[in-house]
Amino acid sequence: MEEKKTTKCGGGFLAFVLGFLLSVVAGWVVFPGLLYSELDQPIQFSHKIHTEDQGLTCDSCHFFREDGSYQGMPTNEQCTGCHSDVIGQTPAEAKYVQEYVQKNKEVPWRNYQYQPDNVLFSHKAHEPFECTECHLDVAKADKAPKYYENKLSGYSKQTMKMWQCERCHAENGVSNACHVCHK
Amino acid sequence: MGLDRRAFIKFVVGGAAGTLFTPIPWKLADDASIWSQNWSWIPRLKYGALTADATYSKLCPAGCAVKVKKVAGIAYGVEGNSANELSKGGVCPLCATGSQMLRSPSRVAGPMKKDGDKFKPISWDEAEALLADKLKGLKGQDGKVAAISGDLSGTANEVLSGFLAGLGSKSYYYMPTDQTAMAKAWNGVMGGSGQIGYDLEEADLILCIGADIMDAFGPVVRNQKAFAAKRPMEGDKTLTLVYAGPVRNRTAAVADKWVAVRPDGAAAFAMGLVNLLVRSGKSASLGGFSDFADLAAKFGPEAVAKLSGVNPEALKDVAKALLVAKNPVIVVGSESGQGAGVALSAAGVTLNAMLGSLNVLPEFPKAVASAPDRAGLLAKDLVGWLAAVDAGKAPAPEVLFVYEANPAYSLPQAGNMAKTLRKAGMLVSFSTFMDETAAMADLVLPAPHPFERLDDAQSPYGLGKATYALATAVVAPEKDCKGTPDFILGLSGKLGVDLGFGAFEDVLKAKVEAIGADWDALAGGAVHVSDKKGSTQASLDAGAMSKALAGIKGEGLVLIAQAHLNIGTGKLATPPLNLPTIRETELYGKDVFVQMCAATAKSLGLSEGAKVKLAAGGADISARVNLSEGVMPGVVAAPLGLGRTAWDPYTKGKGDNVCKILAVSAEPGTGLSVWAGSAVSVAKM
Repeated sequence: MEEKKTTKCGGGFLAFVLGFLLSVVAGWVVFPGLLYSELDQPIQFSHKIHTEDQGLTCDSCHFFREDGSYQGMPTNEQCTGCHSDVIGQTPAEAKYVQEYVQKNKEVPWRNYQYQPDNVLFSHKAHEPFECTECHLDVAKADKAPKYYENKLSGYSKQTMKMWQCERCHAENGVSNACHVCHK
Repeated sequence: MGLDRRAFIKFVVGGAAGTLFTPIPWKLADDASIWSQNWSWIPRLKYGALTADATYSKLCPAGCAVKVKKVAGIAYGVEGNSANELSKGGVCPLCATGSQMLRSPSRVAGPMKKDGDKFKPISWDEAEALLADKLKGLKGQDGKVAAISGDLSGTANEVLSGFLAGLGSKSYYYMPTDQTAMAKAWNGVMGGSGQIGYDLEEADLILCIGADIMDAFGPVVRNQKAFAAKRPMEGDKTLTLVYAGPVRNRTAAVADKWVAVRPDGAAAFAMGLVNLLVRSGKSASLGGFSDFADLAAKFGPEAVAKLSGVNPEALKDVAKALLVAKNPVIVVGSESGQGAGVALSAAGVTLNAMLGSLNVLPEFPKAVASAPDRAGLLAKDLVGWLAAVDAGKAPAPEVLFVYEANPAYSLPQAGNMAKTLRKAGMLVSFSTFMDETAAMADLVLPAPHPFERLDDAQSPYGLGKATYALATAVVAPEKDCKGTPDFILGLSGKLGVDLGFGAFEDVLKAKVEAIGADWDALAGGAVHVSDKKGSTQASLDAGAMSKALAGIKGEGLVLIAQAHLNIGTGKLATPPLNLPTIRETELYGKDVFVQMCAATAKSLGLSEGAKVKLAAGGADISARVNLSEGVMPGVVAAPLGLGRTAWDPYTKGKGDNVCKILAVSAEPGTGLSVWAGSAVSVAKM
């Protein structure tokens, strides 16, 4: 009887450990892959062509407006300064002109750092920081990075969370009062 | 080791425990909370460049110079254009709601044709073909095609009236206002030219007889700014404001003096002032003044007291103030901005002429050569014409165009007028919103919202100088609408009516060139102001005035309708944004309130809150009583703009439409339809 009991206890423990380990592996390895959809940008935009070949700088397209607000993703108004018609050889450019410029539609760019409306983020206030401290470094990328969309929330995987904002504010001696970001 | 039940449970428990050491529960809980921010019905902000584009909003009768605030090209707010020297950055309560009204649920989505009791969407080409077919057979027959316009300042009227003239019809009418009453007096009976103006900016005394300049008369924002400029919070006051009318309205509330005058006795009050000024040696260089002065002599202070309820001493005090002032200006009109007679207007003109304040603005040159003269059209009597159609004395039109107007709701005896409008073979409404007239129309051809269209405003009535402003499309159309003048130009081309232009923009460019203004500056929000003055030559018709004045009884219970811009106008129902500004003493629940003083209420056996029926002109409305000592005895005051039967769920069915009981009568001697201060009966329900 005693021997049987011991055997059962050991088998049960192993089952527990196995379940534990499997779920940990699933949680850390499998779950992230299931949670996010891997998406491409509507247009395979090459930062490399624009920066290295054409000599544009970041603020040629991503600039502050006169009132201090930030342009963020450029719109057709900026892009058609050069691309009102096809001027290069790439299929991406041809697609952009045909599907967006000629149809007078804006490109629905996927925003890696989209913040909801209840967050007021001022780029002007964060101007001293390097862009890459928050954003992906795409300046020399020939292809737009993959966009990982959270299937549940709809946000990008890279979207900064509130704790990250708070930590940075704390490290830099900036107030973390609600009204600083939530107007 | 086999997997028995016990081991399986431990496996599951182990799995569950292990999950706690993974991101799964924490990440899912976090994402679920974020997911709740993105439910589809939660409105999203638009991000983009913040801009403010200048234009001229014509949501209110006189229009406001505004800047439409936009983000990423989408309008979200309105502010006054401080570059405009007249409105100085002010904006009225209607134009302030312009961006919200772009997305009003009552906007007409596209051209529609009545199909049974409902509307059927049609294309603009179908609408044009349908109308061209109908109008082809009516060409050259006067009275078969008619039009009603509620836009009194736009060049669009030249296109529409020129089109009607090309079809051989003279039946072009403007909605009745203080301007049309004055045009009937000045341009019609007195034979003057140009438009009467009021130089409030230069005045040191403003006497308003009936005209509620702070809420209903003319360019209200400019009136307020002209007043404020001479009445600083600190420093000397260089303007005196006197209000003579039956109700302590928004003008009387800021006036230095309120003289209570019965609305039906306003002309007698003005004649009493003419008489006192004549006695003080004043004269006017108007033809027939001598006979007019003799007529005024019959209006001594005691006679005026009997007809208007004004104490003789109060009348004398006002006359004295006018004589002492250096630049007095008399502004006449009705409390509601409509329904006044020629007698009051002519007396007002005479008073200004006697005091050296008669101000005539020249008409700007026409762009459409074949269009009839504006002044002549303004002097026509729409209500009189509709009454004649109703009585069978004039033929009902086969096609009736209604542009920027809502006659089914806002004309006096509205119920009767709506019935008469139905006699038209085809009623065509060019309305931005589904108003009461559009709802009963056979064809609704939506005009763009004022922020979506090219338009203009020439000398809105009430200004002291001839002015011209341009309205440009500052936002893309939200609906399938088309500029009415452009539609008419297309239609005229199909019918072989040559108006000399193919597009309305070309009409306006020709207008601007004829005026000598700068298109680019106007498009940028500037206003062209002319210092030219019109001729003050005109003649008084003492005979006609004598008959008109003889009709004043000065007794019985009379009704005055009060126009409040925040509540809306005939052609624009209360914007949802303004509903909270309606006082509980104007509307409570679904009951409209009428105001009367305690003495009037006592004589009628009424008390505060009593439910009453008001009847006049063969119609009645129900209301509740609010006791207010701001209303003189013998007068019942009721707010206009309520009791909508169309529009949106926010405004529909609230209160009753006072226009239904504004009883129309023909002014003796001039025949003009009048209803300011009409008799009313009040009975407890």
